[in-house]
Amino acid sequence: MMRYLKVTGWLLAAVLLQMTLLPRYLLDPFQPNLILILVVYLGLKLPHRFAGFAAFCLGVLQDSFSGIYLGLHAFSYLCIYTLLSELADRLYTDNRALFVLVVFLATLMGALLNLVMLLIFSVSNGVYASLLPALIPQALVNALIASLVFSFPLPAVEEAR
Amino acid sequence: MIKLLIRHKRFLITAVFLLTVFLTYAINLRNKEHANPLERGVMSVTAPIAGGGAAVTGMLGDLWSDYVDLLEVRRENVALRKSVQRLNERVVAGNEAMMANARLKALLDLKGTLNAASLAVSVIGEDSSAWFKTLVVDRGSADGLLEGMPVLAAGGVVGRLVKVAPHSSRVLLLTDHASAIAAVVQRSRARGVVRGAGGGRCSMEFTVKDDDVKVGDAVVSSGIGGVFPKGLPIGEVTMVKKGEYGVFQTIEVRPTVNIANLEEMLVLFRQADE
Repeated sequence: MMRYLKVTGWLLAAVLLQMTLLPRYLLDPFQPNLILILVVYLGLKLPHRFAGFAAFCLGVLQDSFSGIYLGLHAFSYLCIYTLLSELADRLYTDNRALFVLVVFLATLMGALLNLVMLLIFSVSNGVYASLLPALIPQALVNALIASLVFSFPLPAVEEAR
Repeated sequence: MIKLLIRHKRFLITAVFLLTVFLTYAINLRNKEHANPLERGVMSVTAPIAGGGAAVTGMLGDLWSDYVDLLEVRRENVALRKSVQRLNERVVAGNEAMMANARLKALLDLKGTLNAASLAVSVIGEDSSAWFKTLVVDRGSADGLLEGMPVLAAGGVVGRLVKVAPHSSRVLLLTDHASAIAAVVQRSRARGVVRGAGGGRCSMEFTVKDDDVKVGDAVVSSGIGGVFPKGLPIGEVTMVKKGEYGVFQTIEVRPTVNIANLEEMLVLFRQADE
């Protein structure tokens, strides 16, 4: 029970940071996406039956305070979570470098999913012009933050498996 | 006689001593303002000692007073630091109030030029994504705001309301890819649609090649569509490219409003009411 409370605390802290402080003090492409990092954590380390729902909720939360398309991030985060939870058993998830790499790749994958969704279902012509230049810096920043985050002992990683 | 002297020896010695002292005193009465050799000798011997003692005493006194002063200075320093901090806070607050005053005055001037009713809103949040350009403001449906209402700042058009909650709303900025505003070039009346291009830029689309558009032209809202009143400044043309093929020309527009520094804005009621 305690570990789930701790994970919930981490999730809430990440959402609050993402909503309030990060957009105010960090420039656009260099804002880390803490929510995406947590989705990767959920996918690799906590393949619980509610973790998918948590990933979806995190996406909906992000959509409600970013952009105008409700469901965009919810869809991409759920896809990322599903893929990672399927792969988690085949990967050595205790390896920190793997986490960092997965966060980097998940950032790219999430962005491409969002781009496809926007291009197909919205009238945001030329959104790729904003997305692509910001993609690599954001993936690198996310990977950097992931390396810092996973250097701390996260709540009950072993027990969750 | 001798026996008598011996018997009263002690008394006699005391008397002689007293007499000697008395005579010394009596003799010196005449010369009381001048030091005799004995006095001079004693004074000469004791003067350096007295001087040294006085110096040591003075030094100890100075040390003590310095220590007391140091304590006082420390207390005073702490008090002065607090005072400087308070004064700095006042200076910053004063500067902030002056800048807010200037911004609000510009907003009030803008309000005076508009015929429609409007509501001032303050920015309380920004978009956390690099792809979308929205702002969160502190007023919502409880204050009468509705989706689609135009949002202006002192320089011109900022965007429109897209998601309205009871006590907050989101403003879709004109630089967002999903934003489109019917516009006209002020000088030549060439028509087009100003769309967001991300990164603080806009482009004007659907302006035919034959229309006269030059760099530096002002772009204003055309009023078509009924969202924005006619004639509101949107931006300035920064680049015009007429390709060999195609019907339309490529026009880049820089927004008049500095989107990155927005703090207070006006929401217009008229258009949505109509």
